Amino acid sequence: MSLLIEGLRVEVAGKEVLRGFDLAMGPGEVHVIMGPNGSGKSTLAHALAARPGYEVTGGSVSLDGTDLLSLSASERARAGLLLALQQPLEVPGVRPVDLLAAAGAAREGLREAMSGEAARLGLRDELLDRFVNVDLSGGERKRAEVVQIGVLRPRYAMLDEIDSGLDVDALGAVARRLDAATREWGCGVLAITHFRRLLYELTPTMIHVVSAGRVVATGGPELAEVLERDGYEPFRALP
Amino acid sequence: MTTFLAAAADSLSDLVASDVRRRCWDRFVAVGLPSTADEVWRYAPLASFSLDRYAPSAKPGPGRASALAESLAARGALVVRLVDGFLEESGELPGVSVGLSESPDSFGGLARDERYAADAFALLNGALAPASVTIDVAPGVTVDGPIVILNRVNSSAAFPRLQVSLGRSASATIVECLEGGTDALVVPVSEYRVGADAELRVVTYQRLEPSAWHVGRTLALLERDARLRQAVVGIGAHYDRSRNDAELFEPGASNELRTTFLGSGEQVHDFRTHQLHLAPHTESTLLAKGAVADYSRSIYTGLIEIEKGAKRTDARQTNRNLLLSPNAHADSVPNLEIRENDVVCAHASSVGPLDEIERWYLESRGVARAEAERLMIGGFYNEMMVALPPQVASLVEADVAAALARVEVVTP
Repeated sequence: MSLLIEGLRVEVAGKEVLRGFDLAMGPGEVHVIMGPNGSGKSTLAHALAARPGYEVTGGSVSLDGTDLLSLSASERARAGLLLALQQPLEVPGVRPVDLLAAAGAAREGLREAMSGEAARLGLRDELLDRFVNVDLSGGERKRAEVVQIGVLRPRYAMLDEIDSGLDVDALGAVARRLDAATREWGCGVLAITHFRRLLYELTPTMIHVVSAGRVVATGGPELAEVLERDGYEPFRALP
Repeated sequence: MTTFLAAAADSLSDLVASDVRRRCWDRFVAVGLPSTADEVWRYAPLASFSLDRYAPSAKPGPGRASALAESLAARGALVVRLVDGFLEESGELPGVSVGLSESPDSFGGLARDERYAADAFALLNGALAPASVTIDVAPGVTVDGPIVILNRVNSSAAFPRLQVSLGRSASATIVECLEGGTDALVVPVSEYRVGADAELRVVTYQRLEPSAWHVGRTLALLERDARLRQAVVGIGAHYDRSRNDAELFEPGASNELRTTFLGSGEQVHDFRTHQLHLAPHTESTLLAKGAVADYSRSIYTGLIEIEKGAKRTDARQTNRNLLLSPNAHADSVPNLEIRENDVVCAHASSVGPLDEIERWYLESRGVARAEAERLMIGGFYNEMMVALPPQVASLVEADVAAALARVEVVTP
């Protein structure tokens, strides 16, 4: 029962961004990926979610023994890996409730389940009836992504820069929701972030520092303090 | 002389030369059928069109309304049934009178042959239509619930003619369902006059048989502070041409037109619009949206015309086309003619397949690709469907969704 990423190489527009990325995590764990801009953090998230334009050129990814890279984007989500985007996309004309039903959530009680999740995140309930991400602020979109996680209950949730665009209160609510998810259904959380403040209420099992497309340091929560004090410079990978 | 022309001429032979039908006919003969050399007919499959395949009918042919038409009727406050353009049956409703008219005049005072002088098909309608079906809503009357018009075509040619008039401060909703028309030529002309401060909502749902040729035209005249919300939905016919004109000729008039189509097989959907602003402080919004699948094609040509003196006019035109197959094709030709400076005028158009990244976003939530595409196409039409009157929206939505489900989506 684990998410295993081994030697992952990914190209975007002909340029290699991930250069042998390794990570292993189990259910209920919280792993945090930190690193400077351009180090490949978001590329990892998008490549794992099979976004067009992200070409895997090497390595392997398995989710509870299933070869994830052989699956389509929707099959990966159904297999249990769900990505919350940094910039969630607008889908005009499509309502969140229909999206979630099509994604496999049971129709029965679905709207109520969404309301429950929204309440936990401090997201106004009527926003759930707007078209997917249309006319939502950046922070509301982020919380709407976490509503999806709460309803779909993936085995592993990846969150790309979930803290950007969220104020301190909203960030706290998101962190508490994810923390609860690790206990409620053993959700593994893979959070990509620039900042330490997400970690005040979401205690990481492991922190991975990424530089130039590889993990260059791994450690416990104390690593966040080191990064806070010294910045990324001491961890910069040799080219 | 060909069969259709001979039969039509024969049916008009008793009329004196000054009769409006006669004048329309003479004018039609002089104008002749259009050819694809005419820019506005460029994409019509005229090469395979022949009037001789059709025969004008002196009486309604036998046939029955579809289950959908009956469901619409069941939700109507008043139901008006037309077969081949002949008024078959009409209920009664206080404040509304349904009748027949032999008036030679088009709304706005011009006789039919003058109003439609350059339009061969509207002239044919002017010559061959049965008596005009008139629906008058008395001043100040608010009609709760839709007036449903079942416009059914059973014969091989039909020329329905409708004139709807709303008195001052009246309010009504008309839902027209056009269906039938196997191997038929269907040429409806509808006119709407919206009196001062009146509000008219009109939905025309064209779901003719795939072998029909449909050339429809609507004309709306809006008086002071009148409001018209018009929706035209076309999913049927082999060739579906719909020309929708609005004249805002007194201050404060406003018009919203939404046209929607779904093309499949080798269908051609050909939409023409004209927003004519003749008075100051008038508003018009046009949203034309459609999808083409298989080998179908669509044409959207719209003109916003703002006359000198129509100050503070606000006119907008948006056309969005979705390509559901690499063999489908859509043309979009917005035009503006503005003879006044103090106006707001905007137009936008786009043609393209489903957005790949939006689709990926849905897929990345666990939605299978085909289902993601259905959701997105449904979403594309949603903006049009929300404009339908609530009493009939779910019926039309379900019917369009069923048509969508039959369409194959091929994305690049």
